[in-house]
Amino acid sequence: MKNAVLEVDAVSKDYGGFRALSRVSLTIDDGEFIALVGPSGCGKTSLLKILAGFEFPTEGRVRIQDRDMAGISPAERPTRMVFQKLALFPHKTVEENIRFPLRIEGVPEDEQIRRVRTMFEMMHLKPEYRHRYPARLSGGEQQRVALARALVSYPRVLLLDEPMSALDAKLKKSLQAELKRIHREVGTTFVLVTHDLEEAMMLADRICVMVAGKIEQIGLPSEIYRTPATRFVAGFIGETNFLPVSVKAEGDGAVIAPLCGRGDPTKLAAGQIAPTIGGERADLLIRPEDVRIAAEAPTSGGWHVEGELTEKFTKGSSTQYRLRVSGLDRDFIAESTGFDTGHIEIGQKVIACFDRACFYVVEGAS
Amino acid sequence: MSTPGNNRRHWELWISVLPFALLLVLFLIGPMVLTPLLTFQETKLYQLRWTWSFDTWSTVLSNPTYSAVLLRTVWTALLSTIVCVVVAYPVAYALNTRLAAWSNQVQILIIFAFLTDAVLKTFGWVLFLDVHGVGNWLLQKLGFGPGATNILFTPKAAMLGIVYNLAPYPIFTIYLSLARIDPDLKHAAYDAGASKLRTFLQITLPLSLPGAIAGALLVFVLSLGTFLESKVLGGGTKPLASELIRQTFETRVNWPLGAALTFSLVLVALAALLGLVMIGSRLRIGAAGRETS
Repeated sequence: MKNAVLEVDAVSKDYGGFRALSRVSLTIDDGEFIALVGPSGCGKTSLLKILAGFEFPTEGRVRIQDRDMAGISPAERPTRMVFQKLALFPHKTVEENIRFPLRIEGVPEDEQIRRVRTMFEMMHLKPEYRHRYPARLSGGEQQRVALARALVSYPRVLLLDEPMSALDAKLKKSLQAELKRIHREVGTTFVLVTHDLEEAMMLADRICVMVAGKIEQIGLPSEIYRTPATRFVAGFIGETNFLPVSVKAEGDGAVIAPLCGRGDPTKLAAGQIAPTIGGERADLLIRPEDVRIAAEAPTSGGWHVEGELTEKFTKGSSTQYRLRVSGLDRDFIAESTGFDTGHIEIGQKVIACFDRACFYVVEGAS
Repeated sequence: MSTPGNNRRHWELWISVLPFALLLVLFLIGPMVLTPLLTFQETKLYQLRWTWSFDTWSTVLSNPTYSAVLLRTVWTALLSTIVCVVVAYPVAYALNTRLAAWSNQVQILIIFAFLTDAVLKTFGWVLFLDVHGVGNWLLQKLGFGPGATNILFTPKAAMLGIVYNLAPYPIFTIYLSLARIDPDLKHAAYDAGASKLRTFLQITLPLSLPGAIAGALLVFVLSLGTFLESKVLGGGTKPLASELIRQTFETRVNWPLGAALTFSLVLVALAALLGLVMIGSRLRIGAAGRETS
């Protein structure tokens, strides 16, 4: 078991009358890569600022390395921040930017030079960039300089405030891979704030989904994806199908039967039911990649819906089919790997089947 | 490559800039060419005579009064530039930090300072600085002894007037350049462990220098041309160049001499300006990287 490096204990934050965080508790392990994810205004940035020391909680406590952080300024904390707009000093060269924290700390000159060189190597920055001004670098390079400046003083916790939100998709992907590698190399605890659950899934060891100032779920990426605690978490990534079902409690689990489409009543274990479910109606969560398009309905009472194909998209590595199903207000989505073989035409009636093995239910739409 | 559409756009451009270009040529470039030409002429019995001689220049260069006035003018301008920027910086800084929530009202107030006529404001200072005025009364009550503001009709009072009238310019330019600095830069410096003073010296001050330099240039150019403050508040015993030039043209009707003095003032001012710009560009060498992105 690893040691906790950072403990957030029932932290609340009020801005005037607005409660940005309400009793948030979170423990972050040493060396872990954790992502705080949520829509804008969910409190994730407020929490990060509290961890950095730019803001202080209205209630509750933050401990870093077993030290209470009440009244401790950002400078005195073993944390460093990578800002959303990077906040590189425009009037200082790349090298001066990276050295800035070391100069303030009073690190000896030769040690400064050594560490800056290490950072250049780790970030794959070209040595000739040393004397350039940040504005002369590309977005991705600026990103690396910001990371280098934050990591050069060997912080215990690195706080990243959506540092990749301004980059285009392709650059983002390559930097995400870089970030993962850098995390492995330095072994520092990373706390990443992002509104992109996909990015969080890709990078983080653990994900903390926040909504309206509260933590909705903390868990491994696979848990967030396969067994979301709430309907919100289930629907936060990509496009997802929700199929209304009836629920009847039975023993530890429950029996569900489709209210739309067909299929034999199925017994679910406790682990296949979100804890927020109450009452007799719920929604079955079906990820598009678990859906198979077929010409005929399965014979043995397997779950399926029947619909009319309204659209098909080729996404390169996969093809997406959208079905209009009576009783559902949104298109039912199926995704299969490979190119569309062209055997289904738009407007044609098709069957969408899904396997019981990955069944999971969340509360219905309110 | 000129396509027909391109050509027409050229014509439209020419026609649209023509009125302004005419104005510029007639009333700026024309006089600027005429001024040095005038310096080689003579006046006889208040009549300009079109001859070519160096008499005016030898008068200007040999008479120490003229060079003294020119030097005094440049010196006053430099001094008021420094005082203005030093006075303006903390004001602009406070407006940006302490009064950030009121930034709209503050900007309107600064613009208001330009709306009131400088003549009125300058005469206001006479009432304030007078021995029986409010300023003196107040300072006496505060225990500074009688005649504490006994500077009326001295160069000090003139300087006070110049700074008072011109300070809004650097306040505005510095305010704007401070407002453009991303607050996260300060946060990044704090995060790296820098103290408030260090953050100010290493981040805020260098990044606001363009505004300070722009303000300084404005004040310098404007204060070279002032005559009001030295006339009203300075007592007129030590005139500045613009007053001398006005007298030479108007009262003495000696156009060649006036032109020579004008030309000298422009030359001295250009030299001083060049010096300021060079200091400025050296100071903001680091900030140069920002302009290309």
